[in-house]
Amino acid sequence: MRLTDHKKYLLEMCEKVDRDLTSPTCKKLREHLAKCPDCAAYYDSLKKTILLYRNYDVEYRGSCCEEVLARLELDRPIQLVLPKRTRSKRPRRS
Amino acid sequence: MSDDKDLIDSAKAGDKVAFGKLIRKYEKTIYSFAFKICRDKEKAEEAMQETFVNAYRGLKSFSGNSKFSTWLYRIVTNNCLMMHRKRSHEPVVSLEDTELFSETGELQVPHWGETPHDAVLNKELKEILDKAIEKLPLEYRIVFVMRDVEGLSTEEVGKTLRLSVPAIKSRLHRARLFLRNELNPYLTK
Repeated sequence: MRLTDHKKYLLEMCEKVDRDLTSPTCKKLREHLAKCPDCAAYYDSLKKTILLYRNYDVEYRGSCCEEVLARLELDRPIQLVLPKRTRSKRPRRS
Repeated sequence: MSDDKDLIDSAKAGDKVAFGKLIRKYEKTIYSFAFKICRDKEKAEEAMQETFVNAYRGLKSFSGNSKFSTWLYRIVTNNCLMMHRKRSHEPVVSLEDTELFSETGELQVPHWGETPHDAVLNKELKEILDKAIEKLPLEYRIVFVMRDVEGLSTEEVGKTLRLSVPAIKSRLHRARLFLRNELNPYLTK
């Protein structure tokens, strides 16, 4: 088999790596993988790449809720309470 | 989803308790996603907080046509991109020439050993995974994490990033191949 044929399958591997290969649309690829150990090894390594990153998780134990809500409190428009201005009475002219 | 709708409507009306419930519901998801993009706990926490602050301020623009989580993913992605652009002077890595097989004519693909199937990855392996994905340009990293790690559908990723399905597929394929090739020297039997 020519290298370009393997490359053609590789694109298909990449497309279908997260699918179930037992479906009818994957028949050709499945047959190729069964008889080509190199492509099978490549397919296996692609699957493992995804699996490794999927398993690499970090747990967030805290909560940012209070901090976010506190920041949002600052969004409230500030209402200035000014003392009422009272008109000073002019002395009447006599 | 209907739970979300009630909470969103209340939060839109200024009910911060309702918004607090939305934060608690989604903070782990958003933090985990931000970490997988930023690869740094502090940056991930900063991106998460900004995301919820931005979400509250922009809540009136959320129409409900997409899932609330999709909308949050869009905001956190933008925050991660902005933080990255501000701080990063990384060299541009071309994925164009990610070669799949050598051109020598014969294929010799080394077999990978068994990889851990549970969530317990050792420190050395984590470092290898970090190094490989940090080399991947952020635009590709985001697609890979959303689609392959978080399990969003290609259509959802497209909606979130406002990119076409073919564009998502193209980025995803390149990202997968790039990461596989980066890990290859370490994981070959």
